[in-house]
Amino acid sequence: MSPRILFVAVLCCGLFVSCGKKSGEKDPMSETAVVALSGDADNFNPVVSNSSTSSDIQGNIYPAMFDVSFDLREGKLKFEPALVLRAEFQNNGKDVVLHLRDDVRWEDGMLVTPEDIKFSYALYGNPAVASPRANYVESMIKTDGRFDVDKSIEIIDDSTMVFHFTKQYPLQLFHLNLSPIPKHIYKNADLASLRSNPANERPVGAGPFKLEEWVRQQEIVLARNAKCALPYPAKLERVVFRIITEPTTRLTELKKGEIDVMRPVYPDDVKDIQEQNPDIKLLTLPPRSYEYIGWMNIDIDEYHSSGKEVIKPHPLFGDRRVRQALTYAIDRKNIMEQELGSFGELAVTDFSPIFRWAIKHDLIPYPFDPEKSRQLLRSAGWSDSNGDGILDKGGKKFEFTLHYNIGNKRREYVATMVQKSLKDVGIKVNLQSVEPVVLYQNIEDKLYDAFIAGFSVGLAIDPASRWGEVDKPFNTVAFQHRRITELLKLGLHVKREREAGPFWKEIQSILHQEQPCTFMYWVKDIVGLNRRLKGANPNVLGVTNRMWDWMIGDPNTYVTY
Amino acid sequence: MIRYIIKRVMSAIPLLFGLLTFTFFIIRLAPGDPMSLYIQADVDPMYAENLRNTLGLNDALPLQYVKWVKGMLTGELGMSFSKHADVSRILADTIPNTLLLTVFALFFNFLIGIALGVTTALKRGSATDHIVNVSSLFVYSMPEFWLGLMLILGVSLQLDLLPASGMHSPLAKYLSFPEYVWDVLQHMVLPVFVLGVASAAATGRYMRGSLLEVVNQDYVRTARAKGLSEFLVIGKHALRNALIPIITLLGLSLPFLLGGAVIVETVFAWPGMGKLTVDAIFARDYPLIIACTLVSGVMVIAGNLLADILYAIVDPRIRYD
Repeated sequence: MSPRILFVAVLCCGLFVSCGKKSGEKDPMSETAVVALSGDADNFNPVVSNSSTSSDIQGNIYPAMFDVSFDLREGKLKFEPALVLRAEFQNNGKDVVLHLRDDVRWEDGMLVTPEDIKFSYALYGNPAVASPRANYVESMIKTDGRFDVDKSIEIIDDSTMVFHFTKQYPLQLFHLNLSPIPKHIYKNADLASLRSNPANERPVGAGPFKLEEWVRQQEIVLARNAKCALPYPAKLERVVFRIITEPTTRLTELKKGEIDVMRPVYPDDVKDIQEQNPDIKLLTLPPRSYEYIGWMNIDIDEYHSSGKEVIKPHPLFGDRRVRQALTYAIDRKNIMEQELGSFGELAVTDFSPIFRWAIKHDLIPYPFDPEKSRQLLRSAGWSDSNGDGILDKGGKKFEFTLHYNIGNKRREYVATMVQKSLKDVGIKVNLQSVEPVVLYQNIEDKLYDAFIAGFSVGLAIDPASRWGEVDKPFNTVAFQHRRITELLKLGLHVKREREAGPFWKEIQSILHQEQPCTFMYWVKDIVGLNRRLKGANPNVLGVTNRMWDWMIGDPNTYVTY
Repeated sequence: MIRYIIKRVMSAIPLLFGLLTFTFFIIRLAPGDPMSLYIQADVDPMYAENLRNTLGLNDALPLQYVKWVKGMLTGELGMSFSKHADVSRILADTIPNTLLLTVFALFFNFLIGIALGVTTALKRGSATDHIVNVSSLFVYSMPEFWLGLMLILGVSLQLDLLPASGMHSPLAKYLSFPEYVWDVLQHMVLPVFVLGVASAAATGRYMRGSLLEVVNQDYVRTARAKGLSEFLVIGKHALRNALIPIITLLGLSLPFLLGGAVIVETVFAWPGMGKLTVDAIFARDYPLIIACTLVSGVMVIAGNLLADILYAIVDPRIRYD
């Protein structure tokens, strides 16, 4: 190729790439934050959407009833004005009067009215819609066992409405914080097919951001809603959410500065980032999820064969001493340090450390003590009578299968360590990995004697779903205790959240004593942030909480998170 | 030939139907309730029951099958459980992304593969032959997942030469058209390379073997004896016959065009059919699983048919009439 042809070819390539670029035009990325997500949204209708991605994004598109935050010092939710200017409790707290802003408009110019809110709640509670958030209306007025929207919600005027509950309870305002959707858009929608309504893909909101573009499996682009009348308009022009499933790829993009927010960063990567990437700030979130080893408390063969009528103690784990022995035999601290480093916290019970006021601080985690474990097993009648190295009692060997989800490296490690630890005290553990969907369904259906699982707690204390009746799906180990049942009733019917403190503390003492399962550790999520992103405050409410405060600035300027 | 094609297409219909019927029953027999993914377990079971009724999951299996057959015959692929959208629209969104990746990877595979095969066959026993053979084996045995991650870490992170993930940069729609094309091309380089390189190594080995077999035949010796140039001998006489086994490979590679490539798509965050299929399986999204199977099934059948047609074109001895 002659030099002249080469020159012309290079020139053409340059022109091809640069033509169309308008000089002086501002790079849109200079006012855009990029967030990496592991999964896509399913739709943008808060009544029916199910994915966590949808929830994160909807909170910024639709008008929130309250500006909710979590006060870590007090360990409780705080509700500041948003669409609701003021909430008043009346009729012994059973009625909540909401005074609403009258200047908030949907993107299409229509006013956001109490009618929109009532219409939305009617959808949330309608069985034909089957909303995943249907339990939010559980304590409102029912007729014939069904949510009665007309008796539950009363519209007084254009800016005042009353919600009627059957009782006063601490979570009332939380349950009034469901996002409203515009009635004029959805009023003729077929309820049974609401999930696939085309309007769900072009949401009309009134929040600080609006949906600019959604390319499935690729990216979701939010743009600032200049018409937002809520007290928190967005400061940033755009936020792009990119779907990147593979964690190593996500981390590479964070290190390259292509994305600004990534959750979770794995503990193994922390040291490398701290040493080599000064532009990345790492934040640790207070823990909301824990891992545990479930020991089935009841004889599941009897339970299922009797049509869930007969409840007898489990032949292996039905004895409290055995469950305590299992916890003593497992070196939980070592497992946690190996897997999470300093990003874990030993779990004493399932009451999250974020609820400081409700935690019984004098409970000491069970130490690793194999000798104590052997002693407890002996006192429960288990001994190695035939010298084969495995404990037995009445001719039955202490042997069981531990189930865990396939592909989860951390749980694979835990399973192997548990197998090894329990072998040392004379218990034979067989390991069985199971596909996640099947595993969780079987756990909820109480089909396993022993399993490894995790649990994420809500933003308000609600132990009833976990430790209530045996047949509740989240009471995965079928633990039943008369005193806990009494305490749940007492704790859930107090008027103010704090009044439940003594009841919750007593439940923790019982759980600690009974060891219905072996509580392993709380996991503290790590979030990676590019320092050019200012004003971000990832917290227990999520990474995108208060996204309207985000700004792009000089990465070298000092900023406190 | 036309009659042969029509006959093959007609005989493919019951095959395809059988495949889909098998998939229909096998996914419903697999454990795991789709509703457990869409409604939290602590919500009143009445809500999940209503959703099951709406989606027809409470119908008896034969009735579900009849409804599904009716839908298929009217071209109705159904509504995705997990993505809450029409399955045909999801496929229409995903198939172009997949084709963009796989067509280039297929070109890369055959172009590089044939070139390597011809070079090594002609230089048999030389240092080039040995180096290419060893390298091919090395590349062929490398897991795609590992190669992809290594390239991301090396080429993208350390050298900062190419983007690491996605089909384009964020807000690429604000770029001018040439810039957009350039941006997409840059994003394609690594996934296309990873997807194509291992197959190219295999194609090269096939090509080498096939050409070596042909160059020793009498008609090639005759061509050389006539005094034809080496280029003509190989290019016109030897290569045409040596390509016949490669055409089988091409036919077998076609399903991959739309089947996508799960690993490469996951590593490079490429929104294609492979990842869509796997996500659908994990989400127990029955309509989407069936639709993805339909696409793959059609491609397998079409690939085989195309290979047979190409045989006839390349090898005049083959007649289907």
